[in-house]
Amino acid sequence: MNKILKLTIVLFLVCAIVAGVLGVVNELTKDTIAEQQRIKTERAYAAVLASDGYAEVDFDKAAYPSIDVISECTNGAGHVVMTTFTGAQGKITMAVGVDTDYKCTGISIISHSETSGLGANAASSAEVGVNWRAQFVGEDKTVAITKAGGNIDALAGATITSRSVAEATATAIMAVESLG
Amino acid sequence: MLTNIISISLGAILINNFIFSQFLGCCPFLGCSSKVETATGMGLAVVFVMGLASAICWVINEYLLVALHLEFLQTLAFILVIAALVQFVEMFLKKSVPSLYSALGIYLPLITTNCAVLGVVLLNVQNNYNFLESLVYGITGGLGFMLAIVLFASVRERIEFSDYPECFEGFPICLVSAALLALAFMGFSGMKIF
Amino acid sequence: MNIKKQFKEGLITNNPVLVQLIGMCATMAITTTLFNGVGMGLSVLIILTCCNVVVSAIRKIIPNEIRLAIFVVIIAGFVTIVDLLLKAYIPALSDALGVFIPLIVVNCIIIGRAEAFCQKNTVGASFFDGIFQGLGYTLVLIVMCVFRELVGSGRFGGGLIDLAKGITMDGTGAGIQIFPETYGASIMTLPFGGFLTLGLLIAVMQYALKKSAKKQELKAQEEKEVEE
Repeated sequence: MNKILKLTIVLFLVCAIVAGVLGVVNELTKDTIAEQQRIKTERAYAAVLASDGYAEVDFDKAAYPSIDVISECTNGAGHVVMTTFTGAQGKITMAVGVDTDYKCTGISIISHSETSGLGANAASSAEVGVNWRAQFVGEDKTVAITKAGGNIDALAGATITSRSVAEATATAIMAVESLG
Repeated sequence: MLTNIISISLGAILINNFIFSQFLGCCPFLGCSSKVETATGMGLAVVFVMGLASAICWVINEYLLVALHLEFLQTLAFILVIAALVQFVEMFLKKSVPSLYSALGIYLPLITTNCAVLGVVLLNVQNNYNFLESLVYGITGGLGFMLAIVLFASVRERIEFSDYPECFEGFPICLVSAALLALAFMGFSGMKIF
Repeated sequence: MNIKKQFKEGLITNNPVLVQLIGMCATMAITTTLFNGVGMGLSVLIILTCCNVVVSAIRKIIPNEIRLAIFVVIIAGFVTIVDLLLKAYIPALSDALGVFIPLIVVNCIIIGRAEAFCQKNTVGASFFDGIFQGLGYTLVLIVMCVFRELVGSGRFGGGLIDLAKGITMDGTGAGIQIFPETYGASIMTLPFGGFLTLGLLIAVMQYALKKSAKKQELKAQEEKEVEE
C-alpha cells in the first residue's frame, strides 16, 4: 500500500509541476493570442468593407442561426457579417461585407478545414482564390453558383465548398436586409 | 436534431473517414491489420474507447476546464483521461467479461497512443459539439475506423499471395493499397446530407 | 555513442519514419505545402529535443512502474507550450496544422525515443538524439511536401517563399510556379497522394538500404578472400 501511495504522490507532483509551468506560459501568451485573434478579425473586416470602426448590432439569432455577429460600419458604408457554416469537410468561418444597397462588397474566409488544393483554394491568397472571391462583389441575395442558376463559377473540383460559400453569402445578405 | 445526428454519423463513417480522409489512427491501422480477426478486435476496442472517451472528456471539459478557465490544460487532461480510461476498461473487462477481455486483450493498451482517440476528443471541442453530438461522433468515428481497418485487413490477406517488386515488401505495398482504398473513399466526398 | 554515428542514424539508417515506421499519421496528413511540412518538422524537433533532455535528466529518480505515465505528462506539457507559442506568434501555422499540433502528444516518435533511448543514455546523448531524429523527421516531411506540391499543383515552396519575402503571412501563398497548375495531378494533394508518396518513399529507402547492405557483404567477402 505504501508503494502505491508513493507512486500516486510522484505522479501527482509531476502533473502539478507541468500544470504550473503551463499556467505560467498561458499567462504570458494569453494577451498575444487574444491580440492575434483581434487583428485577424479586423483584417477580415477591413478586407470586405473598409471603415474606421465597427459596432456590433442586435439581430434575430433564432431566424439566422448560422450568423455569429453583425457589425455596422461607423462610416455608414454598410454592415459586416460573421458567419459559421458547414463546408465540404468541416466548419467554415467567413466575413461578408454588405453595402447599403444590400449588395455584397466582398467575402473573406477566416478559418476552414477544406481539402488542400481543392476547396481550400476558396481561402487561398494566391491568384485562384483572389479571382474566385472577386466574383462575389456586387452580387445580391440571389447569389448562387452557375449549377444553381447563379453567376458564380464553382472552384474546380470543389462544387460543395463553392455552393456552401454562395449560400452562406446569400443568408448573410438576407440577415442584413432583415435589419431594415 | 435527428438530421444533425445522422449527418454527423454518415460524415464520420464515410465522408470524413478517420483513416482515409483525416489520417487519424494510421499507426494501429497499419500495425494491426495483417489478419481480419485481429483487425475486428482492434476495431471493436477502438469503438468502445472512443465512445467512452468522448463522453467523459466532454463532461470534464465542460464542467471542469471551461468552468475554471483552464482551457490550456485540455491536451494534458484529455490524454490522462484516455490513459486512465484504457486502464480501467482493461481491469473491468478482465474481471467481469473475461471472454471479451481475451478477445481485445493485447489491443487495449495500444489504444492509448492511437491518435484517433485523442483526435476525436479534440475535434469535439473544436466543433463545439454538445454531449449527444460528441458521443455520436465518438462512436461513429470508431465505427469508421473499424470499417477501414477490416476492409484493409481483407485486402492485405490477398496481398500476401501476390507478386510485387522486392523493395515494396512490408509497409510500402500496404501503403500503396491503402492509397487505392482512400481513392475509393473519396467517392463519398461528393455526398452531402441535408 | 558518438555524434557522427547518431547523425547518420537519425537521418538515414534509423530514420524515424522511413526505417522505424513510426509517427506516420501527421506525415501523411499535413505534407501538402512546404510551409506546413517545415513548420511541423521544426515543432516536432523542438518538442522531441526538450522531452529527451528532461526525460534523460530525471531517468534515475522516477519510479519504473509509472514511467510511461510520467513521460506522457511531460510530453503533453511541452506540446501545449509549443501550441500556445505558435498561436501567439505564428498563428498562420497554428491554423494550417490545426489538430495535428496537440496530436504530437501521441506521436510515437517522441514516446518511442523516450522509452528506447533517453531512459538508458546521458543528457548530452539524448539532446543530440532529439536533434538528429527531429531532423530526420523534418527531412522526410520536406521531401514529401516538395514531391506532392510539385506533382499536385506544379508549385514549389508554397507559403514559405512568400513568408520569407514578407508578401503574405498566412502560408497560403503560391510560391514558385514551375509548370501550369492545370497540368498538375491534383489528386496528389489529397489523402490518396499522402499514402502513395509515403509508400514509394519507404520502398526507395528499402531498396537503397538493401543495396548498401549487399555491397558491404560483397566487400567483406572480397577482403576475406584476399586475406586467404
